[in-house]
Amino acid sequence: MSDAQQQGSGAESDFDLTQFYQIFFEEAGENLDQMEQMLLSLNLQAADDEELNAIFRCAHSVKGGAATFGFADVAELTHQMESLLDRLRRHELQPNADMVDVLLASADVSRSLLARHQAGGGGEVPATEALVTRIRALASGVDGPAGTETNPELDQPELPPSTQGAAIKDSVDVGTPAPGVQRILTVSVGPLKSAAPAEAIRELFRDIPGLGTIDDLASDQEGIQKFTVRTSTATEELLDLFEFHVARDQVSITEVTNLVPESGPSGDAKADTGKADHAEARHFAAGKTDTNATGFGFFEGAPGAPDSAPVQAPVVPAPVVSVSKPMDKVAAPLAQVEAATIRVSISKVDQLINLVGELVITQAMLAQNSRALDAADYQKMLAGLADLDRNTRDLQESVMSIRMIPMSVVFSRFPRMLRDLASKLGKKVDFVTFGESTELDKGLVEKITDPLTHLVRNSCDHGVEMPDERRRAGKPETGTITLSAAHQGGSIVIEVRDDGRGMSREKILSKARQRGLDVSDQMTDAEVWQLIFAPGFSTAEVVTDVSGRGVGMDVVKRNIAALNGTVEIDSTEGYGMRVSVRLPLTLAIMDGMSVGVGKEVYMLPLSSVIESFQVKADALNTVGQGGQLVKVRDEYMPVVELERVFQIPRQDRDRPSDIMVVIEAEGSRVALLVDDLLGQQQVVVKNLESNYRKIPNVSGATILGDGKVALILDTGALVRRSRH
Amino acid sequence: MTSKELAPNTAAAVAKAGEYLTFRLDREEYGIDILKVQEIRGYEPPTRIAHAPLFVKGVFNLRGTIVPIVDLRLKFNCFKADYDASTVVIVLNLPRRVVAIVVDSVSDVLTLPPENLKPAPDIDTVIDGDAVIGLGSLKDRMLILLDIEKLMSSSGMALVSESVV
Repeated sequence: MSDAQQQGSGAESDFDLTQFYQIFFEEAGENLDQMEQMLLSLNLQAADDEELNAIFRCAHSVKGGAATFGFADVAELTHQMESLLDRLRRHELQPNADMVDVLLASADVSRSLLARHQAGGGGEVPATEALVTRIRALASGVDGPAGTETNPELDQPELPPSTQGAAIKDSVDVGTPAPGVQRILTVSVGPLKSAAPAEAIRELFRDIPGLGTIDDLASDQEGIQKFTVRTSTATEELLDLFEFHVARDQVSITEVTNLVPESGPSGDAKADTGKADHAEARHFAAGKTDTNATGFGFFEGAPGAPDSAPVQAPVVPAPVVSVSKPMDKVAAPLAQVEAATIRVSISKVDQLINLVGELVITQAMLAQNSRALDAADYQKMLAGLADLDRNTRDLQESVMSIRMIPMSVVFSRFPRMLRDLASKLGKKVDFVTFGESTELDKGLVEKITDPLTHLVRNSCDHGVEMPDERRRAGKPETGTITLSAAHQGGSIVIEVRDDGRGMSREKILSKARQRGLDVSDQMTDAEVWQLIFAPGFSTAEVVTDVSGRGVGMDVVKRNIAALNGTVEIDSTEGYGMRVSVRLPLTLAIMDGMSVGVGKEVYMLPLSSVIESFQVKADALNTVGQGGQLVKVRDEYMPVVELERVFQIPRQDRDRPSDIMVVIEAEGSRVALLVDDLLGQQQVVVKNLESNYRKIPNVSGATILGDGKVALILDTGALVRRSRH
Repeated sequence: MTSKELAPNTAAAVAKAGEYLTFRLDREEYGIDILKVQEIRGYEPPTRIAHAPLFVKGVFNLRGTIVPIVDLRLKFNCFKADYDASTVVIVLNLPRRVVAIVVDSVSDVLTLPPENLKPAPDIDTVIDGDAVIGLGSLKDRMLILLDIEKLMSSSGMALVSESVV
């Protein structure tokens, strides 16, 4: 139902759900498949609680998703299934073959409905009414185990024709319908100028569960729309409902007292009513909602109705078959929900990535060993190795791309959040995003969401001014917050920008002095902005419940640093502020710098390396005979001797360490004392803790080109270590 | 179900009949459940880990997996622990983790019928906890049967973070 779809997204026009449709369709398909399997294997005599619960959960998930995305028809059907299953799992009903059949049929129809939505809402609408009533009958427990008991209150196609015909006729004859009795009405609406109200009425029947079904009737008058309605709702209630869309005096409802004169053969009217009705119900079930049919167009074949009776007759004792059979027919062509994607567990993908990483190492080894070969003698082999080189690279790239998901997954949560936030604060904010399709490693996406949320909130709360303040400043009342993502080299840069009041250098400096931080007026802007990352730092004049308590920026910075990322701030007072977050594309691969100490090799994340230089022995000063400091330009920096931290064994003939690598983490810098700088390379990050315990000062491990393991230093821990 | 399994579970697990991989540490011969063994390979110097106990030799790269390696000879206070061409590493596949042990040599795979199984002796050893689950007697040989999983995950092995234990 494309309209329903539009409703779903239209209600929240700035929040686009469509990107999640695909996921929903996949999951719903899986859930339905799963449910079908479990239903088929269900032991009716001794149904396992766990199984019933699992089946219930499947229906529940589909229902929840369908309701969220505005697929009212699916939600309604699955809701009915869920009610029945709920009673089953609470042992209020005993499962029987009937129920399984009807649930299977419902699953099929749900699938068809979903397929239809997925295809954009075109094509025939599989009817659900017959199933819904059938499930309700079963759920109400009225139905006997064999399902042959008749329930005159419900329109059950499998009812013996005469019984049902009588039921309808009785109720009609009495004139005042008993509640819950299904009636057939002709509703004419008009004269109307447009078709919209008529469409709205049609939607009513779609959207209100249990209201009934509606079908168009050809109208002989211009501007008057006629419908055939089968419903159990009282006429008065219907009029009330319609009144939302059309004036009451424009609606006339007449009860169809007898179907036969309008349609089929004149003779044997009463008996045929039931049959015709039966045929009609089948028709509904088959989903052929022929909107242009004249009159009860589906009765055109009515002369053949008696012929079809024998076909239907054997069906009566096993009623469900008559329901499910036509379903199957419809379901088959529609139910082929395209499996354009497959869901694979992350561990499998990681294993693949591991193996490819190994292949890359092997390939690198081969390349290294072949370098000494004579190009003329080994021409073919060298050509092969060159191919291998290219293929492994391509392979690695495509394997890594499996874990990549677009930034839109993160971005999509902000419009709603900002809207709520802005209205709470009384601000006007436009939200613009760029580069939603930029892809990022799944693990990173999960971890970047919270810091970004914080930044966006900050922009809205502290950045963008109140409308009148903006007017006074000569800016448009509506502020703009821009969120963008782009690839830059081997990293992704995510920017949060606003055109608000920006940050005041003076305010930050004075606040920093208040808090006893060491600041001077000579600091560069960039250094001043970095101050806001100090723990507990906030210049917000008012502490709101949104932000301003001074917890935040330090956490943001720490979280991003933990992902080997960096944060930069740029701001001009009165014109806005920009926060750029730079992250590696993936957690699994890192730019590393390898350093040698003694005979051991350690890896540093390149993102935290600031500079390196050779140090003279006299540049080192000790404090209290312990901690060492090195003077870097005008700054004294704590020295961390890797040799000591990692108790690296040394032979006497080894020369002493004389290379300093300045690293920055968590806002402080330390100088690491190492022997050698070995090089920079991309390394595959491995988890040590999967097979071993946490090692202090080490964040992970990687495999070097020669197949050896090198430990990756935890720069944060090294910096913290130097503090005490 | 054998009667043994039905018997009330005493503190220590009891060795079951089955196939055992046997290896030597110095002059002692040990047996571990063959199903826990992933592979056997030669010894290559691993990457040393700072602050680890002496018997944890470090970590090495097993086709992309970082695997810690424990020298059982050091753990069990053997007289000497040399690394040469015949030094063997047994890679164990335990639930949720892969670890490797260094032994002097691997002897063979033996099928131990129930009648060759003897209960674990009640003696004081350096072996942690209830890791010794029985003895296998084969003519003139005595096998010390280890529950290698229990041994490797014991706190004394220092392979598992305390928080996990």
